[in-house]
Amino acid sequence: MSLNCPLFDCDLIVESIPKMLEGIGLTIELLFESAVLGLTLAIILLLMRISGRWYLVAPTMVYIYIFRGTPILVQIFIIYHGLPQLDFVRESILWPIFREPYGCAIVALTLNTGAYVSEILRGGVLGVNRGLTEAAAALGLSVRQRFIYITAPIAIRLCLPAYSNDVISLMKSTALVSTITLLDMTGIARTIVAETYAPYEVFISLMFIYLILTWVIQRTFGVVEKRLSRHVRSEV
Amino acid sequence: MEAVTGWWDDFFWGSLVVVELFIVAIFLTVLFGLIGAGAKLSGNPVAKSIANAYTIVFRGTPEILVLLLFYFGSAVALTAIAQVFDPEIKFVDIPPFWAGSLAIALIVGSYATETFRGAFLGVDPGQVEAARALGLSNLKTFMYVRIPAMWRLALPPFGNHMLSLIKDTALIAVIGLEETLFVAEQAIGTTGKPFTMYIVVGGIYLGFSTIITLSVMVLEKYANKHLEVAR
Repeated sequence: MSLNCPLFDCDLIVESIPKMLEGIGLTIELLFESAVLGLTLAIILLLMRISGRWYLVAPTMVYIYIFRGTPILVQIFIIYHGLPQLDFVRESILWPIFREPYGCAIVALTLNTGAYVSEILRGGVLGVNRGLTEAAAALGLSVRQRFIYITAPIAIRLCLPAYSNDVISLMKSTALVSTITLLDMTGIARTIVAETYAPYEVFISLMFIYLILTWVIQRTFGVVEKRLSRHVRSEV
Repeated sequence: MEAVTGWWDDFFWGSLVVVELFIVAIFLTVLFGLIGAGAKLSGNPVAKSIANAYTIVFRGTPEILVLLLFYFGSAVALTAIAQVFDPEIKFVDIPPFWAGSLAIALIVGSYATETFRGAFLGVDPGQVEAARALGLSNLKTFMYVRIPAMWRLALPPFGNHMLSLIKDTALIAVIGLEETLFVAEQAIGTTGKPFTMYIVVGGIYLGFSTIITLSVMVLEKYANKHLEVAR
């Protein structure tokens, strides 16, 4: 089949899209795994941060400061290229993770997104009306009960829009794993461009694929947001 | 750390490239942001849909992809044009510095578009009407009323955009610009100490982020100083 297009090589587009889509599994896998692990890390960091104990708060703040203050690419390089320099890493039981680019990518993305998400969650917790927690305290709920039944459900609703943005930036960050030899969609696109030297056709088609992914993430969170705030809507 | 000894001057020059990139890109970011916000707020449907497409595309695709497209795309186009004049030419490219700063400025500019749009909408319409009533021209209203009122609102999110911008400069090493990451790669080639070198790069970026965060704090204080008296 041959298509005649004036400006672009349409055959190449038709050929390269299925090739690039072979990498979508890796992209989604990286996104999903590091999002779940990152959220877990973020919750731990959040609990440490709001604990009010300085020996828990200080390390969390340093951690967030470092991971939000340096480029994710540098973090990926430190973990993938840098850690093998250290003997104790190579001798540790975690070495099988750090030996593989995939493990390094998951670790880097998790540590990075964890720092950002914990700040988002903190924003949500701080946004909860004090009157509600005071009322819960007056009703005799313990600190733990107040957090689980009062603060958390409201905070989740408050930080969902910001969180969905962070999932989108995480999805965009997964493209960086192509710099550490992983063949995600971007990695495959770069190989195709290196062979065909047709950057417009390949990269622009890939941009559309990423745009669709972004749209899917936005829509999914939109549905969840709508469902979580249905009690507000019914009043209107 | 002694492995770094001979490399400090290279890291210094690399950092200087980051600073240059940042200055060029921040200027372009503000420009793209203002144009984008202007287009979105204008009544013109064509300008509006172009601006919408701009923010959707540049906010929804990975930064590195935009960068690769700009660098290799421009190289292919320029090479093709150059070959018309001289078939001997094999490869012409835009210097990575310019391709890179343009690409990251377009990306961060798309975020700035939304920020500026929101900030312009946040300006009290009464102030603009008052300026009109005083007979100020459109340009003067824009320069003396809208801009001073909107930049206070735009400053906190714009500080975050500056932080993303400085961190995005690291990506430009991928297309071969001699900035800090590139220096680190060379240093690793000779010393074989990747951890040390990349930690140095991380430290440099952490320094830049700290400077930006502190500057934004000072600027915010300056922007809101008229409010302090009231307290």
